Amino acid sequence: MNQPTPSGGSRNVQMARSMCWHCQSEVAGEYFCERCVKVQPVSKETDYFTCLGLPRRLTIDPAVLEAKYYERSRAFHPDFYLNKTEAEQAISLDNAATLNTAYRTLRDPVQRAEYLLDLEAGSVKTIRTSPPADLFEEILELQDTLDAYRAGDHSSETGRQLRARLEAERGALERRQAEMEDELQRLFVEWDALQDRGEADGQARMERDRLLRRMRELLSNRTYVKNIVNDLVETIG
Amino acid sequence: MAYSDKVVDHFNNPRNMGSFGKDEEGVGTGMVGAPECGDVMKLQIKVQNDRIVDAKFKTFGCGSAIASSSLATEWLKGKTIEEAEQIKNTDIVQELNLPPVKIHCSVLAEDAIKAALADYQKKAGSKTGTGSAQ
Repeated sequence: MNQPTPSGGSRNVQMARSMCWHCQSEVAGEYFCERCVKVQPVSKETDYFTCLGLPRRLTIDPAVLEAKYYERSRAFHPDFYLNKTEAEQAISLDNAATLNTAYRTLRDPVQRAEYLLDLEAGSVKTIRTSPPADLFEEILELQDTLDAYRAGDHSSETGRQLRARLEAERGALERRQAEMEDELQRLFVEWDALQDRGEADGQARMERDRLLRRMRELLSNRTYVKNIVNDLVETIG
Repeated sequence: MAYSDKVVDHFNNPRNMGSFGKDEEGVGTGMVGAPECGDVMKLQIKVQNDRIVDAKFKTFGCGSAIASSSLATEWLKGKTIEEAEQIKNTDIVQELNLPPVKIHCSVLAEDAIKAALADYQKKAGSKTGTGSAQ
């Protein structure tokens, strides 16, 4: 039972993935060996899109995603492995865990985009965007107003004025967050279209970089806005 | 979440909180954020004769981020630009006893120091006319 470790070169991993851990025959099917019908481990290198049998696209129909998830969940459910060998039980459990993480990540558009950025551009930090100074100033100023409101008498005239200001800011920031999420959806469509065209020339590369950068920027700014909105909601309800 | 005594102290009694006018003479402003957690940090230095005579900060974030920037302003005061450039995030980690999950707060503080110094130098450079005339 010569299960090769995934620490070898990428060529080794490729070979390991296509060979059944049990009967050593080639695995053509997705998760089961066609010859001995043993469940196969999902490689740690498999990305979440592949794991769920989806193309690497950002626009995902939730119904399709759910269907794929259930279909695979059934295949790996520990209940079906009660009478199997320990090795098979362990593999099914691992696969189920990976599948769950994959589903949770891809189900949420923001997490999905973060994940794709990780896949496409390495870690988050590799795409450097200049910090949004205006937004930062706004957040820090708003924090001062929040502090003043928290420290003061809420029923006083000043307290009421501060509260009205915070409520207005909250509305504006929530609208901004919604706008960012809308733009993110538009970028999803653009990204997918670029992938579908499958071009690899200089212009396509530039377009790819532009989209990744803009998505990175939006996701970061959205986190900043979301944080201060959370604080606002906590304080003024 | 157990903060060290020093973090709690800086959090409860932040040193040098506030800001200078951006266009004030000798002021350098560093504005940085951590997109992973949404923390925002603004750190400013006031320089006279190549020495940092005052420093201020404003931070929107967790206790460790506030403590890191508060400590940074304390350390900056009285230092020359060159000395200030030597401040490392690991110094902050050590002083505040930050746990591994909070190391990024100290990195943010170091980034803020660097950004403030760079901003000061850019302004100082353009004033003496050695930089571009814009």
